[in-house]
Amino acid sequence: MRRVTPDTIAVVDLAVCDRCGLCLPLCPPEAIHLELNVLTVDRAACTGCEKCVGPCPVGALAMVAYA
Amino acid sequence: MPDVDVLVVGAGPAGAVAAWHAKQAAPGLDVVLLERDRAIGAPVRCAEGVGDAGLREFANPDGADWVSRRITDVIFQAPDDTEVVLANCGLGWVLDRTRFDAFLAAQAAAEGATVLVGAEATAMARNGDDRWHVRVKQRGVDEVYRARVVIGADGVETMVGRWAGLDTRVPSRDMESCAQYVLQGIDFNPNAIYLQFSNAIAPGGYAWIFPKAVGVANVGLGLVSLKADGRNARQYLDSWIARRFPTGARTGYTVGGVIVHTTINKTYAAGVLVAGDAAHMINPLSGGGITNAMKAGRLAGRVAAEAICAGDTSERRLAAYHQAWMELLGEDHLKYYRIKHALENVDDESFNNLARTVNKIAAEKRTIGRVFAHALIKHPQLIPVAARFFV
Repeated sequence: MRRVTPDTIAVVDLAVCDRCGLCLPLCPPEAIHLELNVLTVDRAACTGCEKCVGPCPVGALAMVAYA
Repeated sequence: MPDVDVLVVGAGPAGAVAAWHAKQAAPGLDVVLLERDRAIGAPVRCAEGVGDAGLREFANPDGADWVSRRITDVIFQAPDDTEVVLANCGLGWVLDRTRFDAFLAAQAAAEGATVLVGAEATAMARNGDDRWHVRVKQRGVDEVYRARVVIGADGVETMVGRWAGLDTRVPSRDMESCAQYVLQGIDFNPNAIYLQFSNAIAPGGYAWIFPKAVGVANVGLGLVSLKADGRNARQYLDSWIARRFPTGARTGYTVGGVIVHTTINKTYAAGVLVAGDAAHMINPLSGGGITNAMKAGRLAGRVAAEAICAGDTSERRLAAYHQAWMELLGEDHLKYYRIKHALENVDDESFNNLARTVNKIAAEKRTIGRVFAHALIKHPQLIPVAARFFV
């Protein structure tokens, strides 16, 4: 199944992120990973749904233009 | 390639107790307990409160060095700060999780389990030999462990469940975003936990004060961001503390997610069991998860050990774990979940009215039973709130 490219995708500000992992189970396509103490958003998998942004307790996730 | 019987991923209460009880049930098995962080129990991502009865199934808190504070009272605070004091309403404890989690891991080690810190599982796959091959990174070196059963006790991230093909995702409405400071030099009753309900303070959740010592407490809140006004949990907490404890010294800080959902539909797969936060085994009404995690870990450890001894780690065999958990607590959580959502429609004014109603009962007669009787008459939709906090 080909993914429709979203207009915006989530990015993490690692200077703000506390590595708590709260956002991982919120991500429907499971595009967020936390490995070796670094949080990453897989831009190829992110659908731009924004479900991770509001719940972040410290505001470390934001939406940016895909391009 | 190390070959083990049980590989437990995550050395919190669920994982440590799973390793402990797997080894106790079958001392001949090789049991390995992995902790990603450099120290078991740290960083603390928890308010550290626990009820007495559940705790005592696993450890004796009397005089233990992993206890911070003995709690006898609960103080509910309405949105307008009206206090409802329930004195001597039940015994609880505020733990020192840095020591408590290490204590549990030491129990596992004493039974003969191997405990590894700074060891992170980064992937796992089934390779047709009836074993899980789990890639573990430790001090920069990858090693593949072969395991008959992997117990995923890896918390809110729940990667083991994901790798095993289980659906561990959480709807936004069932995720509490939490922030907490350790505050020093503040004034409160050190024998009481405080719970404040207010849509302005902690929408969809509550704010708490859990004493660590006289003048020292975990002060935090959890909220559902869908109900919030655009601020994040830390910003809500900063506002609350600025009003309540403007002079408190902030000597610690943590954030995290508490999944206030019900147990995932399937907590097992061939050669895999998932326990604790990773399986959404938190009480959805109170947000408490420590004793639930230990009880699930005990079940998981025993079921894994028995399955290995019987030579059958199939999905069908391990399903017994899910059934046992649902009978023990999982079914209750379904009820609490419905109560939680019923309470979402209660506004701040109703909570204020309830507090005033209950305070008309003389303090010495204010047993939990009488409080509920009053609440039942005046505000029938609110009865279950307090009742379930120490469950």
